[in-house]
Amino acid sequence: MAYTPQYGPGTSVVAQNRRNQMNPDHKLEKVRDITDEDIVMVLGHRSPGSAYPTAHPPLAEQQEPDCPMRKLVKPTDGAKAGDRVRYVQFADSMFNAPSQPYQRTYAEMYRFRAIDPGTLSGRQIVECRERDLEQYTKLLVETEMFDPALVSMRGATVHGHSLRLSEDGMQFDALQRCVLAENGVVKYVKDQIGVPLDRAVEIGKPMDAEWLKAHSTIFHSLVGTAYRDDKEYIEYIQRIHTLRTKYGFMPTEE
Amino acid sequence: MLGPETAERLLNAVVGVPGIRRLMVNGPGLPKTVPYGPARGKPNPNTNRKTITVGGSDVDLRVQVGMVTIEVTDEATIEEIRTVCDRIFTQFPYQLQVGQFMKTQATLVDYAKYGPDADETMIGLVDPKRTDVPVMIQH
Repeated sequence: MAYTPQYGPGTSVVAQNRRNQMNPDHKLEKVRDITDEDIVMVLGHRSPGSAYPTAHPPLAEQQEPDCPMRKLVKPTDGAKAGDRVRYVQFADSMFNAPSQPYQRTYAEMYRFRAIDPGTLSGRQIVECRERDLEQYTKLLVETEMFDPALVSMRGATVHGHSLRLSEDGMQFDALQRCVLAENGVVKYVKDQIGVPLDRAVEIGKPMDAEWLKAHSTIFHSLVGTAYRDDKEYIEYIQRIHTLRTKYGFMPTEE
Repeated sequence: MLGPETAERLLNAVVGVPGIRRLMVNGPGLPKTVPYGPARGKPNPNTNRKTITVGGSDVDLRVQVGMVTIEVTDEATIEEIRTVCDRIFTQFPYQLQVGQFMKTQATLVDYAKYGPDADETMIGLVDPKRTDVPVMIQH
């Protein structure tokens, strides 16, 4: 019998959004267009248009050991070319941001190949080969998993996910990598690590509160969907809690 | 959290209320240089870190204003401050809490910095590690 993953429990819109992001068969809604050059500029790992620096010769040019696993697993484009491993890190506000660190890791593990995510409470980093990274970042930024005001790409000094929003609706950023321009468009004026860019990169208008509430993956009793309203999720988490507590003592359900 | 212009408007309106002894502005810090990462030490231009004018004196904002702690001499002042805040905060809500939020006694760190005869108006007002002094506003 073919296995159909459920991805997660819950009947609320938050639970459905989490499942949608995780399910690789679900096509994420494209919300904005960002050019490849803009992505490269904000990532800040190489200058736009330059060749990809390499960490080793392309796989085709080097002798590969006779390994059944290497025959089974096809290398990604980045691995094939011998690219360096580089990263993108996102900080997601707790005020209805459309994705959250744990959620990002789950979604990326289902959707992407050859990645190494690192998950923390307020930020999530994903490392992979540079040319794969640019593709993945493009998807993460252009689709419904991103909001210009509540999600930002921050390599270092990420503090802000749990703070109140600024009066213009932006997530706090000590380095002010992105600013809300007068025309209502968010512009990146610095790259991930806080180095000023040669030109500002427009990333789009912040989504409205209604859209955010409908596309968020975080429960929030004040600004969004309350956790307690999703009975199925509560039941699931209580079951996990019970089993974990009993585990080692009596690891069966009564 | 407030941008510098709104913070300036709020603070100017609040310092106009008689009966305020001390006032402290709090919030997440806006460092002058990048504190972490590969760009550490590079300048951090930030439109939120500005010099604002409060009650005729220049104040260098080092934080994005999120909380203002005010020490008042009389309880009636609190209601006046509430009236002022109601006029300023029309676009988004605010919270006004009443209580003891400043230090009342010198701690060990204060003792190390100011000695046994510390000026009690300084206690709890500035981080003892900082060298810059608070701004005085005359009425």
